[in-house]
Amino acid sequence: MKRPNPIPVAVVAAIAMLAMAVPFLGLANPTAMSIAHRMAPASAAHWLGQDEYGRDVLSRLLWGARVSLSVAAASAAMACLLGTAMGLAGGYLGRVAELLALRSMDVVLCFPPLLLALLVVTLFGPGALTLIPVLALVFLPGFVRVVYAGVLSVRSQEYVDAMRVLGAGRLRIMLRTILPNIAGPILVQLSLAAAAGVVLESGLSFLGLGVLPPAPSWGLMIAAARSTMTQAPLLLLWPCLALSLTILAMNALCDALRDAVDPHRAPGRRPRRLPSLLTPGLLMAPAPLLDVQGLTIEIDTPAGPIQPVRDVSLGVVPGETLALVGESGSGKSLTGLAIMGLLPSVARIAGGAVWVEGRDVLRLEEGELRRLRGNRMAMVFQDPLSSLNPVHRVGSQIAEAIRAHRSLSDHAARDRVLASLRRVGIPDPLRRARSFPHELSGGMRQRTMIAIGIANDPKLLIADEPTTALDVTIQAQVLDLIARLKQEHGMGVLFITHSLPVVAEIADHVAVMYAGEIVEQGTAAEVLTHPLHPYTTALLRSAPAEDGSLPDSIPGTVPLPHQLPTGCAFAPRCQHRTAACEVARPALLTAHPGHTTRCIRWRELAGAPTRQAVA
Amino acid sequence: MLIWVVASIVFLAIRCVPGDPAELLLSQGGAAPDPATVQQLHEQLGLDRPISVQYVDAFRRLLHGDLGHSVQDDSPVATEIWQRLPRTLELIAAAALVALTTGLPAGLLAALRRGGLFDRTASWVAAAGLAVPVFVVGTILVLVFAQGLHWTSAGGYVPLAQAPGRHFALLAMPAMAIALGLFATVFRMTRTAVLDVSMRDYVRTARAKGVRHHRILTHHVLRNALIPVVTVLALNLGTLLGGTVLVEYVFNYPGLSGMLVDAVSARDYPEVQGIVLVISILFVTLNLLVDLLYGLLDPRIRQTVRQA
Repeated sequence: MKRPNPIPVAVVAAIAMLAMAVPFLGLANPTAMSIAHRMAPASAAHWLGQDEYGRDVLSRLLWGARVSLSVAAASAAMACLLGTAMGLAGGYLGRVAELLALRSMDVVLCFPPLLLALLVVTLFGPGALTLIPVLALVFLPGFVRVVYAGVLSVRSQEYVDAMRVLGAGRLRIMLRTILPNIAGPILVQLSLAAAAGVVLESGLSFLGLGVLPPAPSWGLMIAAARSTMTQAPLLLLWPCLALSLTILAMNALCDALRDAVDPHRAPGRRPRRLPSLLTPGLLMAPAPLLDVQGLTIEIDTPAGPIQPVRDVSLGVVPGETLALVGESGSGKSLTGLAIMGLLPSVARIAGGAVWVEGRDVLRLEEGELRRLRGNRMAMVFQDPLSSLNPVHRVGSQIAEAIRAHRSLSDHAARDRVLASLRRVGIPDPLRRARSFPHELSGGMRQRTMIAIGIANDPKLLIADEPTTALDVTIQAQVLDLIARLKQEHGMGVLFITHSLPVVAEIADHVAVMYAGEIVEQGTAAEVLTHPLHPYTTALLRSAPAEDGSLPDSIPGTVPLPHQLPTGCAFAPRCQHRTAACEVARPALLTAHPGHTTRCIRWRELAGAPTRQAVA
Repeated sequence: MLIWVVASIVFLAIRCVPGDPAELLLSQGGAAPDPATVQQLHEQLGLDRPISVQYVDAFRRLLHGDLGHSVQDDSPVATEIWQRLPRTLELIAAAALVALTTGLPAGLLAALRRGGLFDRTASWVAAAGLAVPVFVVGTILVLVFAQGLHWTSAGGYVPLAQAPGRHFALLAMPAMAIALGLFATVFRMTRTAVLDVSMRDYVRTARAKGVRHHRILTHHVLRNALIPVVTVLALNLGTLLGGTVLVEYVFNYPGLSGMLVDAVSARDYPEVQGIVLVISILFVTLNLLVDLLYGLLDPRIRQTVRQA
C-alpha cells in the first residue's frame, strides 16, 4: 500500500480534531435560547449570529459537527467490526457460516438503505442512539462482502497454507495472517461508510427522524432554517456549507485511500507525438517495403526515463520474412507497435525513422496513418483473447477491418469475411462468423486474428508471437498459412518470436534483440549455423535439441532498462567477457557482408565450438 | 422467495417491537386512552388474535393483492400506493434521464481530454455533486428559483392530464435535485470506464485495423464502457426507490416515499408494511432487469446464464 495523498487526510483529521475539541473551546451553550435576539446578525459575541430561537449559530454548528461525526464514526466502526467478523467467519469457517453470513446480507440488501433506516426508526423511535445501530446495519453488507471477497482471494495463498502446516489455529490464522492482508480494502470501506454516515444522519435528522431537537445537528439546523430562509438565508447557508465541505473532504479521503490501496490506478500522462524532434530522414535510401533506421523508444517512469528500444535498424523486402528474436522484455513487441504507430500512451519515439513502402510513417498525419493500418500494413497481436472485442461477433470484427478501407455492400462484405475465415482454415465459417470470441478455442481465436490481419491483403504483416498459445499441429498450420500468403501475394513479414525452431522453419533473415538492442543480424542460415554473438550462441544452446539432450539455460537475467551496464549489455551474463567488454557500448560491426554483430570479440570467438541445435 | 422473506421480516419486525398502534392512535393530546376503546380497536384491526393467525391471514390477502386498510383513515392501502407509485417512478425516471444524457457525454469528453480544462471543471462539479446532500440541493433550488427568481413554485404536484405544462414545471426541480448526485456518479463511472477500456488490447486491435476514430469510440470504447456504467446507475436507481424521501419532503411532492414517512410517524402498520413490500419487490425486480440487461450488453454473461 502506497502512502495516500496527505491533503484530504489532513483536512479530515482537522475536522475530527475540531469536533473533539468542541467542549474545551469555551463556546456559548448551543441550546441556550434568547428570544429577544431572534435571528440577530453576526456580532462580537456571536460570530455567525443567532438562530430563530436566539441560539448561537457558531456554537450549534460546531456541536453539530460533533454529533454528526460521532454518529457516523460510531456506526461505521460498529459495522466494520461486525462485518469483518462475519466476513472472516463466512470466508474461512466453512459452508454453514458462509451461507448464514451471505444470505442474511442478501436480505438486508433487499431494502434500499434509506428505506431500511426508516423502517428501523419506525420500530425503535428516533434519536441519536437508535441512529448508530441503524446506520451500522445499513453499512454491514458492504463490509461483509469486502472481507469475504478478500478472504477468498487470500485464503488459498501459499503463506496461509504455510501457517496451517505450521499448526496455527484457525482464529490465529484469521487474525494474524489473513486480516492484515485485506486491511487496505477494509479501510477504504470504512471511510466510505463514515462519509455515507454523515449524509444519512443529516438526512434523517432533516426529516425529524434522526437526532432529536433541541440537540444541535446539521440536518436539524437546515430543516429549521428552511422555514425562515427568505428572511435569513445565512442561517441556511452555514450548516449547508459545513455539511457539504465535510462530505467533500471525506469523499476526497475515500478516493485517496482507494488510490493508495489499488496499485492499478497509477496515473500516467499522454504525451503528444513530436515528429519535429525526430532526426529527419536523411539516412539512406529506404528499402522497398519496411525500413527502420536507428529507432529509439523512450518511456517516462517514476525513476526517470528509460529506453526499452535503442537504435534499432532493420529492413524487410517483399516476399521475405525477417524474424525478430529475443527473450521477453527485449523490446521486440514495442518495435512492432512503433512501426504501426500504436505505441502505448506512456511510450514515445525518441529518435530514428520508419519507412513503409517509402512513406515515413512516424511523421504521417494520423488520418493517413489510419489508411495504411490494416490495409497496406497489418499486425497480428499475441494475445487473441484480450485483443478481440468481447462484445462483438467474430464476423463483424473481420468485416470492420475490411470496411474501414473500402465501401462494400453488406452482402459483399459478408462474402469477404467468409472467404478470409476459410483462408485461415476455420471450418464451418458461416457458424464461426456468428460466434463471440469467448466461444472459440485458442487456436480459432488466433486464426481469427490472422484473418483480420490479412483481410485486406497487406503488403507488410507484423506478426507478434502468433503461435505462442497454439499446440504444435495448429502452430504448423498457422506457419504454413503465413508462408503461403507470403508466396502468393509477395507479402513481407516481420515475425516476432522467442522460439528458435519457429525461426528455423520460416525466416529468411534473423535479427536477434537483447535488452533493447539488435545484437546480431544476418540471413537465417548464417545466424543459425554460424552465430557471431555469444547471446545468439547461448540462445541456440537453450533451445530444445532434436537429439534429446538437455538444453543449457543462460545464467542470470536480462538487465532492467534503468540498470543497464555501461559496456556491452550482455557482458554480465557472458562467459567470454573481458575487461574491454565492460568499458564502452559496442557498435554493430559488419563481420561479412549482410551479417552484423555487436560483439567486439567475434573474430576470436568465431573459432569456438557451437552446438548446432537447430539446423 | 426473497420477496416472501422480506415480507415476513417486515411483518414480524413491526409486531415484535414495543409500542401499540391502537394506543398510539388513540393517545392524541397526551392523555392516556380509554382501555375499552383500545380493546375495541384491537378487535377491529385483528391485533387481538395470535401472531401466527395474523401472519397466515395477511399472506392470504396479500396473494389477492389486498394490502389491508390504513389504520389512520381506513382507506385501502393498495389504492393509495397505486396512486402514488407512478409519481415516484416518474421522478426517478426523469432524474435518471437527465443524469444519463449529461453524465455519459461529459464522462466521455473528460476521459478523451484527460487533464484538460473540461475534465478538471467537470470533475469538480461531480465532486461537489457527490458532496452536497440531496436535501441541501433541493433547499437551495427552492431558495434560488422559487423564492429568489419566482420562476416556479416551491413544490407540489399537478397531474399530467390536468395541466401538462405545470406538471413538468413542478417535476423539474425535484428531478434536478436528484439528477445532480446521479450525474456525478454516471460522470465519474463513465470517465473511469472509458479510460480503462481505451487501454485494452482490443481497442489497439481496432486501431491496427485502421478503423476510424469515431467508430472506435462508439463501437469499441463506449460499447464496453457502458457495462459498468449501467451497473452503477442501476444500483443507484434501486437506492433511489426508497431514497426519494428527502426530495419528496423538501418539494412537498406526493410520492410513495412521502407516504412512507407519514405512515412511519403514525405507526400505520398496514401502510408501512405495504409500502416497504412494494418498494422491495420493485428493488428485487430492478436487480433482475439489470441482470437481463447485462446479458444484452455482455455476451460473455449471456452464455453463463444460458448454461446455468
